Amino acid sequence: MRDSLPTRILRPICFVLIAVWSGFPIFFLVMSSFKPPRDILAFPPRFFFTPTLDNYTALVTRWPEFFEALQSSLIVTIGATVLTVVATTLAGYVYSRVRSRLLAASAFLMIVIRMVPPIVITLPLFPVINYLRLSDTHIVLIVLYTTFFVSLNTWIMKAFIDQIPREIEEAAVIDGAGLMQILRYIILPLSAQGMIAASTFVFIFSWNEFLFAFIFTTTDAKTAPLVISEMVGAVDGVEWGVLFAAATVQLIPILVFVIAVQKYVIAGLTAGSLKG
Amino acid sequence: MGRRFIYLLMAAPVQVLLLAVIGMPAIYVLWLSLHKTAFGQVPEFVGLANYGFVLSDPYFWRAFVNTFVVVNIVVYVELGLAVLMATLFASGMPFRRLLISIVIAPYAVSEVIAVVIWKYMLEPDVGPVSAILASLGLPELAWTTDRWAAMTMVALLSIWLHLPFSFLILYSARIGLPKDLYESAATDGASAFDRFRYITVPLLMPAILVALMFRYVFAFRLFAEVWLLTGGGPARQTEVLATYLYRHAFRYQEFGVASAIGWLMVLATLLIASGYLRAMYKRMLTGDA
Repeated sequence: MRDSLPTRILRPICFVLIAVWSGFPIFFLVMSSFKPPRDILAFPPRFFFTPTLDNYTALVTRWPEFFEALQSSLIVTIGATVLTVVATTLAGYVYSRVRSRLLAASAFLMIVIRMVPPIVITLPLFPVINYLRLSDTHIVLIVLYTTFFVSLNTWIMKAFIDQIPREIEEAAVIDGAGLMQILRYIILPLSAQGMIAASTFVFIFSWNEFLFAFIFTTTDAKTAPLVISEMVGAVDGVEWGVLFAAATVQLIPILVFVIAVQKYVIAGLTAGSLKG
Repeated sequence: MGRRFIYLLMAAPVQVLLLAVIGMPAIYVLWLSLHKTAFGQVPEFVGLANYGFVLSDPYFWRAFVNTFVVVNIVVYVELGLAVLMATLFASGMPFRRLLISIVIAPYAVSEVIAVVIWKYMLEPDVGPVSAILASLGLPELAWTTDRWAAMTMVALLSIWLHLPFSFLILYSARIGLPKDLYESAATDGASAFDRFRYITVPLLMPAILVALMFRYVFAFRLFAEVWLLTGGGPARQTEVLATYLYRHAFRYQEFGVASAIGWLMVLATLLIASGYLRAMYKRMLTGDA
């Protein structure tokens, strides 16, 4: 079948519009981070200018805490991702291989609990975390981020482990393998894709999260998005350049990551939401 | 040690985290919502007074209306765009990998950075979008002073930020639809619109509903965008439920009132998700897994 003339003209236009809508704001941010202050405030905006690293130099000299915050972000993100993957691979295996009413009920409860808005639980957790002297620590954020993703990720891991044929395990049992060996030599390697898919979500979330970091950290454990949000508040018309530089530094690694793992993101979303 | 016990042990960390960090605190919030309490103060039972206060507070209703309007606009515009984009992308496209990478790029962006970007783009006398509006002879979006301009900005930002999620769910569902269905419909003379209307939409409906439910639940939590753009101001004009809760908890130290708002939010979320939850319950506890 041949497309009609209007379709042949309209389709490319649609693709261009979609690409501009999604990509331009990011492109513009990154581009502006290399602009001298004069050009940032130029109106209408300039697309041709002499690129400079001044904004990045200013970021390094004036906002040393931003780089400490990046370190915090990295610690929290890696911590939450590792904890989530370990906990949900173990649980995913059980939910995939074992049938029982207790497990079915707990699986349903997991979905219900997932519905609670994060801000609601900050109310009781705030005094408890203070009491335990855990306020402003990485551990609090790691545990919170992990908890909000164990439900989805157990689901994703179950979906992936479901696809590993039981016959392999049965053969291993006949050869005398125990549960630990089955997990180590069969499930671990064969569900690696699922682990990547599951870990991408918690990884991206932890790197970018704002609410919990805002409520539960004050100085030592502040993450990069939080420091950037403070820079927004500090903007008095001249600081855009530094802000763009910080935003670019925070954004580029995770952007490269998302694009690199896009096929896992798609696989994980499908497993986590539709097959559920 | 029996096998069963080991299995329970393996599933335990996930369950313990969920119960200790979300489940029990949520129940405790219910208890708190029936008490008058502040930091370091002995809670005093007040029945449903906190709920009464919240439900008769005009600021609550303003926050509710703001949330309701923004969430509905965001969810339906986003889903509509996502369905159209999924259809367009499934009909073949140039530079497939590059285009998908660009489309999902906002998924990598933190709410904080999205605010930075859009704030700048719509900054009066500076931003490129303001420039476009000006060149078209349109007034700039007065989101710092006008309630609905601010809510428009919040909606715009949310749609931009979350479109990749909806798109990916619908796109992967769309490319899973059988090709021969479309081919035979085309040989029978069905137009592109007919194919969209009578094949794509009905067959995508389950995925659309799941995406719709998830987007409702997540959009409802809206906090950072509003907090960072307007802080709920001017004069509490642009508050949403989450910022209203935050103000009462962490500014006014009224934990009882904040808890009542919190439980109202939990109930609203459960209501939104009730259809999905019922379907899940049936499949997991009564039907086959």
